[in-house]
Amino acid sequence: MTGSFDVGEAFGARRMAGFKDFFQHASATRVVAGRDLLSSTGFELGKEGAHRVWLVTDKVIRETGLVDRVEAGVTDGGVEVAGVFDDVPQDSSTEVVDRCAAEAREAGADAFLAVGGGSVLDTAKIADSVFTHGGTAAEQEGFFLMPRADDEMGVPLPIAPLVCVPTTAGTGSEVSMGALVKDPVRKVKLEICDFPLFPRLAILDPEATRTLPPKIAAATGMDAMTHAIESYVSLEWNPFQEARSMQALRLIRSNLERAVDDGPGDEEARGNMLVAASLAIAIELGSTHAMSHPCGGLYGVPHGVANAINLPHVIRFNAEAGDDVADRYRDVCEALGVESGGSGAAVGDNLAGHLTQLVEGLGLPTRLSEVGVPEEGIPALVEGAMGDGLSLMNPREPSEEDYERLFRGAL
Amino acid sequence: MAYFKDADEVYRFIGKLFEDLADDEELAPKFRKADTVVQYSYRDPDSTITVQLLEGEDGRVDFGETDLEPEVVMSMDADTAHRFWLGKVNVTVALARGQMKAKGPVAKILKLVPLVKPVFPKYRAMLEEAGREDLIEAA
Repeated sequence: MTGSFDVGEAFGARRMAGFKDFFQHASATRVVAGRDLLSSTGFELGKEGAHRVWLVTDKVIRETGLVDRVEAGVTDGGVEVAGVFDDVPQDSSTEVVDRCAAEAREAGADAFLAVGGGSVLDTAKIADSVFTHGGTAAEQEGFFLMPRADDEMGVPLPIAPLVCVPTTAGTGSEVSMGALVKDPVRKVKLEICDFPLFPRLAILDPEATRTLPPKIAAATGMDAMTHAIESYVSLEWNPFQEARSMQALRLIRSNLERAVDDGPGDEEARGNMLVAASLAIAIELGSTHAMSHPCGGLYGVPHGVANAINLPHVIRFNAEAGDDVADRYRDVCEALGVESGGSGAAVGDNLAGHLTQLVEGLGLPTRLSEVGVPEEGIPALVEGAMGDGLSLMNPREPSEEDYERLFRGAL
Repeated sequence: MAYFKDADEVYRFIGKLFEDLADDEELAPKFRKADTVVQYSYRDPDSTITVQLLEGEDGRVDFGETDLEPEVVMSMDADTAHRFWLGKVNVTVALARGQMKAKGPVAKILKLVPLVKPVFPKYRAMLEEAGREDLIEAA
C-alpha cells in the first residue's frame, strides 16, 4: 500500500464517528440476572460442566453468611464444593493466586466459583488459568498470550469453567476478559487479557450486594459510571460498546443514588446497578483510568474513589479537544439528564460539575488530597499515568505537562 | 512475500534504527526512562533485536543471541515492525488483533509509544538514503 505519510495512523488518528477501519468486540459470558438465583447456583454450574467446584471469596464476605447460602445452592444442584479459599485480600497478588490454584488442584476441583468484588473475581480468573495450564501467575502476564492451538496461532485453549457472583456493582470483571493483580516481587500490576478469561457465567442477584456498605456501593458505582463514560469517549470506541455504555448510564442515573441511600431496602436499584456494571465494563478506556491506576498503586486509593475524583478533570480536558469529542460528551449529558448545549468547554463544564455534585452527594471525597495523596507525589503519579497503556486510547493525547495539571487540579 | 529477505536485512534497517536511537542525544535519555530491557522477536524472517534501556546507563542493542535478560518481549512479523516504524500501525489495534504480542510489564513499553513519532521520518529517510524506496512503497 502506498500513500501519503501520516504519523497519526500509528496513534489511532482520531475518528469519533462513522465506520471505523477496525474494531473488535467480544462478549462471551452467559449472564443470568434476577431474584433468588443464589439458591440455584449448582443448577447453573452443572450446565457449565462443573462437578467439583473451588469456591474463591474473601473473609469479609464469608462472615456475612452469603458464602454459606451460595454453598447450599451449589450442593442443592448436585455439584460438590471441593473447598473454599477465603484468603483473597482487598488488593490481591500473584502469591495469593498461586496458592489459590495449588489448593484447588490438591482438592481435586474441576471448576471455579468466585463470590466477591473485583479482587476476588480477578484472583479466581488468573488462578483458573494457572490451574488449567500450569506455571505461575507471573507467567500468565500479557495481552492475548494465553496458550493456543496450532503452534500458538489458532484458537485459544479454554480454562476450567468459571462462574462469577459479583458482590459489588462496579468492576464488571464478571463479564470481562481482563484481570489484574499486583506482583510484589517486580512491584508492578500484572495484567492479563485474553478471550479464555471471559467467565462462562455471571450470576447477577441483588441478594449478593444486600450488605454492601454505602461508601463501597458509591465508589464501585462510580467505577461503573467511569467505565461507561470513558469507553464511550475512547479512541477505541465501537458501536457495540456505545449501546452498552448508553444503557449503563441510564441505569446508573436511575439507580445509583437509590442503591447507596437505601441499599438493603432497594433490591431493584441494587439489581439494576449489577446490570449497569456488567454493561459498562470495557477494556477501551482513557486517561481517567490511566490516572487512577497509579493513585491506587502508590497511595492505596480505592479504584472507584480515584475514578470518581479524576473523571471530572479528564472530562474538562477532553471536551476542549474538538467538536467530535464534545459531541460524544453531549450524548453522555443527555443520558444523564444534564444540559448538553454550548461549546465543548461548556459541555465539559456542565458534565464535570454534575458528576462532582453527584460524588459529593454520594458521600465520596472529591479531592485526591482527602485520600492521602501528597503534592510531592505528583511527579510519580504523572510517570505512572504516562506509562499506562490506556493513555493511548484517550481522545486527546495527554503530555506530561497535561497530566501534571490534571493531577494538580484533582489534588 | 515478506518485505525483508533475511535477518541481516532486518538488522540493517530496523536494527540500525535502534542503534541510532541509542545514540540520539535528545531521544535516548527519554527512552532510557523506561528502565527495562526489551526484546523484539520477529518472524518471517526470524530475527531478534534486544534493546537495553536502563536509566543512567548507555544504551545497548544486540542482534540475534544475547546475554541480556529481557523484561518485556514483543513478538510480531518483521513486516509489522517495518510498517510500525513507517507510522502505519496502530499499536492498540495491533495488540487487540494479535498482530503484536506483548509479554511482560507492557506499560513500560507503551509509555514510549508517544515518544516515537519523531522517529518515523528518520526511518523513512534511512530507507531512502539506502535506495530502498521499494520497502516504503511495499508497506
